[in-house]
Amino acid sequence: MYYGDTLLVNLDTGTTEQFSFDEVGVFGPGLAAGIGLYEKYGDADPLVIGSGLLTGTTAPASCLGFVVGKSPLTGEVAVSPLGLYAGAEVKLSGFAMIVIRGTSDKPVYLWLHDGVADIQDASALWGRDNWETTDAIRQEMGEGLIQVISAGPACEEGSRLASFSIDYWGSGDTAGLGAAMGARKLKAVALRGLGMLDPEDPEAYYEATMEMLAGSPAEPGFGRLSKGLGAGDVDGWLKPMVHRYRSCFACPAACNTFVKYNEPASVLAPDGVDEPGVMVTSAAAALWLMGGGWEAEPACRAMEAMARAGIDQVRGARELAEKPLKDPAGVAAAVSALTGSAAAGWPSSDRVGSGLFGPWVPPLGSPDEWMEAHRLGYLLGICPTYLLTSGIDRGALLGLCGPASGVELDTGRIAEMLP
Amino acid sequence: MRVKVKPMDCTGCALCELACGFHWDEAFSLISASIMQYRAEEKKDYLGIIVKTEEDLFLGRPEGAEAVKLGELQKGGGGGGASAKPILIREACDMCESVGKDPQCVAICPHDALYVE
Repeated sequence: MYYGDTLLVNLDTGTTEQFSFDEVGVFGPGLAAGIGLYEKYGDADPLVIGSGLLTGTTAPASCLGFVVGKSPLTGEVAVSPLGLYAGAEVKLSGFAMIVIRGTSDKPVYLWLHDGVADIQDASALWGRDNWETTDAIRQEMGEGLIQVISAGPACEEGSRLASFSIDYWGSGDTAGLGAAMGARKLKAVALRGLGMLDPEDPEAYYEATMEMLAGSPAEPGFGRLSKGLGAGDVDGWLKPMVHRYRSCFACPAACNTFVKYNEPASVLAPDGVDEPGVMVTSAAAALWLMGGGWEAEPACRAMEAMARAGIDQVRGARELAEKPLKDPAGVAAAVSALTGSAAAGWPSSDRVGSGLFGPWVPPLGSPDEWMEAHRLGYLLGICPTYLLTSGIDRGALLGLCGPASGVELDTGRIAEMLP
Repeated sequence: MRVKVKPMDCTGCALCELACGFHWDEAFSLISASIMQYRAEEKKDYLGIIVKTEEDLFLGRPEGAEAVKLGELQKGGGGGGASAKPILIREACDMCESVGKDPQCVAICPHDALYVE
């Protein structure tokens, strides 16, 4: 259930080409195809962007896309997630998978829309933060719904804390693939998808997903994560500033928490301040700061500052947690002084992810269960955190592959595709 | 009877748009639904829902809900601006009667932000 061709971008020459997409048949769906393409073009050390087999549909939490590349932190191939709306927009952009090779001689951004790929000059965006970049691209294209995967100043500088951002809100890029974008002078990838996904057996697919959603938990916030970890009440800590809980695409569990601190959280009309607060997307970052004794408001301002700069919020928050701030006025200086001394991870666990997958997903369940959630999630495009916290029937989820695209998957094949 | 919105209960998952689009096309997209999120002011977390009917648009804005006649979309600011215009060219909500089901947007919403009244 993919839409469009594979796109090959050559930043050395500033050119693109497209070829028919058959990677699902060759390598398998989702991340299997992404890694297959990475290895196919491995000599060029590419970045590969893609989505899962079910991404962008009514399958619960089918929000997930990915970026595959060599981590500047480890020198090994790593995967970073594309959540919020970015994974779905990749799926609907008109390109099934995107392979980016080479290094541009000037800053550029890639504009993908309806099967058209344009390499745009980004000289005016270089040095600007992720909020400014997202605003500028949306304004230039006249479309407020464009999803922007951008490399903030920390990524341009090749900081060890670099992490690409999705729109304004940071991301789970704990592998430093934002720095890999910056090294290629790739300021951003902008996406807008108006495509259509056709299941092989539409009615069977739709009815099965409706049945799954009917049994899905809908408790918003980070509570499911923090309770599972035995961590503190991060929802209660944020509550006085909470404006609304927000979902990633097609996800019944709204983890993301929009907080306001530049105007009262109760303001509903659109005529308030332009930038009232931040959407907290990293439970781990919030837990580190809360556990370090930070007040919630300066903590959220720190998360905003890191999201703007393109800094991994988890490692940044872990380092910041060592010196709690009560005065919001000191946040900018504290974030600027980050050194990258802290490792990624969760406050309640020593688990740091696997070689391929960083510790974006909470360390719930056994290591084997955690790994299985990643394999299944990245092949199908389902958020692994949702898989670990929802109790969803994974057999039923695998059963969607047939009506989706005629591809039959079982746990044995999954382990072969992503060992 | 029509589909109405409790906008502050909406989390922006877009499942309603997918279900409605599927109702019309037996496929998944964000361009054919009779229901649409207004999410162009992302930094403000200003999120509303618009439902198109034969006679009017039901605008579920965070600050309040109302029906406006087709052609009056520009009035009233947020939720009725340029980013909401694509819904004007879409099919009007038929409450899913053409497929013999209850309104699928209501059925799929995980947070009961949509209801029939």
